[in-house]
Amino acid sequence: MLNIVRVTLKGIFRDRVFHGILAVAVVFLAIPSVSTLSMRQVTELSITLALSLESFILLLLAVFLGGTSLWKDIERRYTFSVLSLPITRSRYLFGRFLGIALFLILTAAVLGAGALVAVKVVSSGYPPDRPVAWGAIMAAVGFDALKYVFLVAFAVLFSSLSTSFFLPVFGTIAIFLVGGATQQVYDYVHSAAARTMAPLVRQVATLLYYLLPNFSSFDLKVNAIYAVPLDYHGLALTVGYCVIYTSLLLVAAAAIFGRREMK
Amino acid sequence: MGLRAHLLGMAVLLGLYLALLFPFTTYMANKPYVEKLGIIPRAEVLQVISADQKQLVGASVIGKVIMYFGGLVDGGKTGEIRVPADYPAMSRTIYAALKLDPYNMDGYYFAQAILVWDVGQYQIANNLLEYGMKYRTWDWYLPFFVGFNDAYFLKDYKNAAQMYMRAGKLSGNPLFESLAGRYLQQSGQTEMAIAYLTMMAKGAREPAIRKSFQTRLQAFREVRLIEEARDRFKADHGRMPERIDTLVAGGYLKKAPVDPYGGEFYFEPDGSVATTSKFAYAGVRHAGEKGK
Repeated sequence: MLNIVRVTLKGIFRDRVFHGILAVAVVFLAIPSVSTLSMRQVTELSITLALSLESFILLLLAVFLGGTSLWKDIERRYTFSVLSLPITRSRYLFGRFLGIALFLILTAAVLGAGALVAVKVVSSGYPPDRPVAWGAIMAAVGFDALKYVFLVAFAVLFSSLSTSFFLPVFGTIAIFLVGGATQQVYDYVHSAAARTMAPLVRQVATLLYYLLPNFSSFDLKVNAIYAVPLDYHGLALTVGYCVIYTSLLLVAAAAIFGRREMK
Repeated sequence: MGLRAHLLGMAVLLGLYLALLFPFTTYMANKPYVEKLGIIPRAEVLQVISADQKQLVGASVIGKVIMYFGGLVDGGKTGEIRVPADYPAMSRTIYAALKLDPYNMDGYYFAQAILVWDVGQYQIANNLLEYGMKYRTWDWYLPFFVGFNDAYFLKDYKNAAQMYMRAGKLSGNPLFESLAGRYLQQSGQTEMAIAYLTMMAKGAREPAIRKSFQTRLQAFREVRLIEEARDRFKADHGRMPERIDTLVAGGYLKKAPVDPYGGEFYFEPDGSVATTSKFAYAGVRHAGEKGK
């Protein structure tokens, strides 16, 4: 399985994905000047921009690497040669997932370092009212990476089902949007404003809330930007939630992929 | 096609591109630059579609308002607004941005700096600021703003004093306690406004906002001069002057006071100084419209 992880990482680097990321990361250089547009929170704006850029790049990677990796293998008939080796289909699938996940974590680390440098530059010129919470910024980057690894698991599940890349790519984007909204929808449905709503709608929304992923808990941007203290208990729960849900998705993906006919 | 044909084709296209470039850039340069606010989706919709980029969307929406406002303000000294500003649209936009990111200080600051004075929606501003106080629990600016609005506009001195005490506690600045004391008495309003505006103008980085504070400060300094002259007149004559002109004619004012907003100063029946502009460019327009 480690071989698959290695091959996956090598393949990503061979496709010059990392060069592309570095090219986009040049935008970090613009953050100090763009941040000065803010009236009262220049450093806060620089953290917002840096974290948003990092998050956006990771989203693209999760969707496209996660959504096309398996499909490409099948399309190139690469899977036949691999699966003729003494390796199970599930190991192959897990290897692919781990390779992409490692690449995402590596990218998050590099972009996170870029973000820290950009924020450091801005905060030395425009000291914020409250000291910058460096720990919270790193936690925000880390949990963002975790969220996108979670999303890759969805992409892998969709890939195991589908024969083209449409379902994995668009399905993953849909999951990303839905996962970001579940908490809001749940809060709204259980608020006073939604009292007139039909009970059935409310029950369906609640059921979906428990089934669909909840990405809100991974979002630590507010803590990082405005130096709001982190809730460690909540973070531990989030990690546990992510590990269990991701494992479930991967086991399901392996089960489907194992039964799939390859021609 | 051979290499020569390719090169020829590219040369022709390059020539056409260069020929087009000049009129194109001229057209773009002459296009009037006005940042339009337009209609932005409801806050609830924005919340859902901005996914994990709420802070970014909030900041860019507020940036739009700042650019819009900056584009309206004259580059000259007065900070006069050339085009009628769409204050309700600004108000709505700021509200949506703060729903997205309730921590964004730029939103509260802009609401307090511009919308309170120019639109006169003090209660809405205070509700917004009190909403912000639930999130920015460390920030002394928000209770400072609410306190000022309470005392100056809403005449709720008790609440104002409480807010100032809170701001004093958060900032550790003794100035607030002395202000809180002053807010308990109605007299000295102008003095308080001057203290407030001086503080705000000092902290303002954005030129359009700073200019708006400085203009307002200038107006209040004029009011203070009139008030001082009025008090001297009263001491001498034992009655209030009816008109500002009386003070100028009597030598109590060196020259006729000028309202930088283009309004006329006058005495209210209770003797306090007011202006037809209501300390806003919008005020002059409203007064003008009523006159017609």
